[in-house]
Amino acid sequence: MYNILICDDDRDIVSALDIYLTSEGYRTIKTYNGKEALRASEENEVHLILMDIMMPELDGIRTTAKLREGSNVPIILLTAKSEDTDKILGLNIGADDYITKPFNPLEVVARVKSQLRRYTSLGGAEKKPGLLSAGPISMDDAAKVVTVDGEAVALTPIEYNILKLLLSHPGQVFSSTQIYEQVWNDPAYGSENTVAVHIRHLREKIEINPAEPRWLKVVWGLGYKIEKGEGGR
Amino acid sequence: MKRPGGGAGFKVFVWTAFALCCFLGAGLFLKVLPFLAFDGDEAAQDTRQYRWLIWQRAHQVSEGYALGRELNSGKLSYAQTQETKDRIETLEKGLMPDATNFRFRVLDQAGVEAVTNLPDGEKLSAPVFYYDFRMGEYGLSEDVWGNELWDERAEGTPEPDAQIEGEAEPEPAVYTIACSVLAEEELLTSEVEDEFYRYTWWFLVGLGDRVAAGVIAAVLLCAALVFLGLILWSAGRKNGEEGFVLTWQEKIPFDVYVFLAACVLCWTVWAAVELAEQLVNLSLWSLWGADETEQRNLLVMGSAAFCTLTALGAALTLRTLTARCKCRALARSTLLCRALMWSWRTFKEVCKAAAELARSIPFLWKEMIGFFLYFFLDLFLFVGGRNSALAGLMWFLLNGAVLLLICWWGLGFHKIRKGGHAIAGGDMEYQIDTHRMPDDLRRHAEDLNNLSEGLSSAVEAKMKSERFKAELITNVSHDLKTPLTSIINYVGLLKGTEQTDPKAVEYIEVLDRKSQRLKKLTEDLVEASKASTGVLAVNREKIGLGQLLDQALGEWREKLEEKRLTLVTTLPEGETWVYADGRHLWRVVDNLLSNCAKYALEGTRIYLDLSRGKGQVALSVKNISREALNVPPERLLERFVRGEESRTTEGSGLGLSIARSLTELQGGAFELAVDGDLFKAIVTLPQAN
Repeated sequence: MYNILICDDDRDIVSALDIYLTSEGYRTIKTYNGKEALRASEENEVHLILMDIMMPELDGIRTTAKLREGSNVPIILLTAKSEDTDKILGLNIGADDYITKPFNPLEVVARVKSQLRRYTSLGGAEKKPGLLSAGPISMDDAAKVVTVDGEAVALTPIEYNILKLLLSHPGQVFSSTQIYEQVWNDPAYGSENTVAVHIRHLREKIEINPAEPRWLKVVWGLGYKIEKGEGGR
Repeated sequence: MKRPGGGAGFKVFVWTAFALCCFLGAGLFLKVLPFLAFDGDEAAQDTRQYRWLIWQRAHQVSEGYALGRELNSGKLSYAQTQETKDRIETLEKGLMPDATNFRFRVLDQAGVEAVTNLPDGEKLSAPVFYYDFRMGEYGLSEDVWGNELWDERAEGTPEPDAQIEGEAEPEPAVYTIACSVLAEEELLTSEVEDEFYRYTWWFLVGLGDRVAAGVIAAVLLCAALVFLGLILWSAGRKNGEEGFVLTWQEKIPFDVYVFLAACVLCWTVWAAVELAEQLVNLSLWSLWGADETEQRNLLVMGSAAFCTLTALGAALTLRTLTARCKCRALARSTLLCRALMWSWRTFKEVCKAAAELARSIPFLWKEMIGFFLYFFLDLFLFVGGRNSALAGLMWFLLNGAVLLLICWWGLGFHKIRKGGHAIAGGDMEYQIDTHRMPDDLRRHAEDLNNLSEGLSSAVEAKMKSERFKAELITNVSHDLKTPLTSIINYVGLLKGTEQTDPKAVEYIEVLDRKSQRLKKLTEDLVEASKASTGVLAVNREKIGLGQLLDQALGEWREKLEEKRLTLVTTLPEGETWVYADGRHLWRVVDNLLSNCAKYALEGTRIYLDLSRGKGQVALSVKNISREALNVPPERLLERFVRGEESRTTEGSGLGLSIARSLTELQGGAFELAVDGDLFKAIVTLPQAN
């Protein structure tokens, strides 16, 4: 039983989220501005915070900054601002994830589950040698097992090899040709968009929202890369 | 408010006191004036005036003799006889001892007394004066001024004059008049008030008082000076006024005032001097008649009055001068100054009008006139320079001046060119220095300056409006997205509920679909407005278009295959590099492919061609439209316009508009072409090396 603190000045959104999360078996604490959220997080044991950015009294960014002073509870920001700068600011200030409005409730639930799993069960897990990882994704090459937030994902051998190539060089961009040549061990003859199709499938398996990938990113016109794992939080 | 020296009463008092002092001082001084001719220790008898009076009397005696002889000659007519008789009688009466204090004895050549008016037992009192006259001649033979001669004779026997030799007629008899006036003590107590009496009294009194009178006069004049000081001090002061004020007098120009005052003062001075002169003459050279005393008094008063008028006039002039100085209005209250200022202003206006005229002449005309003037002058001086060194020097000077003029123009032109270049380069703040520029160039430079000002303000206004738009978009998108979030969430919740009515399930389906559509529409709308207003950040870098197409096809291949659409791609050898923002370019390609997926006829082929040439890279997407395209391609690019009128298919109608805006943001071009059912989109981008 996890306690989730929901904070948004729009009461309808708060109660909708409340319904979805309660039906998933979480306990919720409803607050409507940053100050209430701060107070509630002090009074209760909170395992996750879902918070809007634009709020009266104290906005989400400042509340996040205050919460981060004494807690490492996962924070997911809900934002109507789709500007990149807002997202980057939110993540830099200490938020763990963000969801843009209007959001899909199922995505919210998925992201909440993901954050909770990493916060509770994987928090203290020590890294084994030979374990490749980035964010929630980890690959045990010896066992040929890929897990996302601790859950095993079934991949085809080609997908596995592509992921292995990218994971072993996090942050590095590989063009389709490079990937093809390394994975297929064949020179590429204009059949690169097979790589693109495979990557899309891979993304659907390891990303919560494949249209907005967090880890397996497309660098348009240049290639693909795995985002560097978040520093040891 | 009272102010010292500002009251009218004070002023009247000061002026009156000044006038009185002047009048009394001048009167006293004039009274003393005749006595300045005397030493002070002499007696009345010693004065010339006294002797002059005695001479007059002696003359009367001689006249009496002459008249008597004429009468006895019997040559006179009756009327003349009567007249002579009357005259003799008057003379005799006047010389009677009860009519005068003059005493005389007439002695003939033998020293025998002929006539005397000495009463019995009385003698001539010293000093005695002697005069000779010839019988039958008017006037005394002796000069009245021959004092020494008389004194000598007073001691001895009078000597007859030397005879003129060879004279035919018998020598006329010569008589001597010995005469004197009563001694002073007797004279002063005498009952006979003749000229000697009056003169002596006047002399004694005046001489005794002259020092006292002079001192008083001096004191009074000093007092007048003090009052003059007060007048000058109070000049310009007025009750109830701060500072100094000007009166009507100061309205008269100062130089006119001084001129008028000088005229009046000259006249009054002249009159005062004239009267004083008359007074002195009347005192020293008159016969001291009975009525002359009054005349003298009148002259003193008149002269004093003119002196006072002079002093008043001078005081008025000094007062107005002081008042003007205090108000610092001396220079501008003179007519001369005003005239000078007026002429200066007029001169300036004339100059201005001339400059205006020169300015209004068309530029070409000015150039022509200037050139011909120069040309003929140059020719003239050059020809003259062969004979005259001066003309040669002038020729050099003229050409030097023209060179300087050309340099001046050239400098101005250079400045303008520099400024124009800076403005063209985007420096809207640049101001051309118009200091000391030729007039025509300066106007041009000012126009340029104004232009740059106008441009920079327009640019600033545009930036402001862009910022405002960006803010508006952010706010609107937030305000749209928040309620939409609730709608989507609650529709989702509704779907999760048990619905017995099949219609309700259907309705919820519609709501779900439409809310998703609305979500997409909102996102597109925000993106379209951002792209078209240019507030989107563009990070252009070198990217491979072939790679990007490959990635895009990877995303879309399965969806297109679902619609039974076949992709045919034609790519050139090697990678095609362009300068673009990868994410924006992906959106362009994404929108184009999405367009194909939505509107292409099922079972047809989509042609994707990439070609390079002339530094440009062209990407064309061709497909067969499912519906007849009955709108021109330009219309398709407008927002919310779609190929079919019914608007039942998914899509916002913004895709092509966004694609075009994003392409243009990256410095590319976006073209559409429609040929029957063939729809063709061409994206052109600059190629990167």
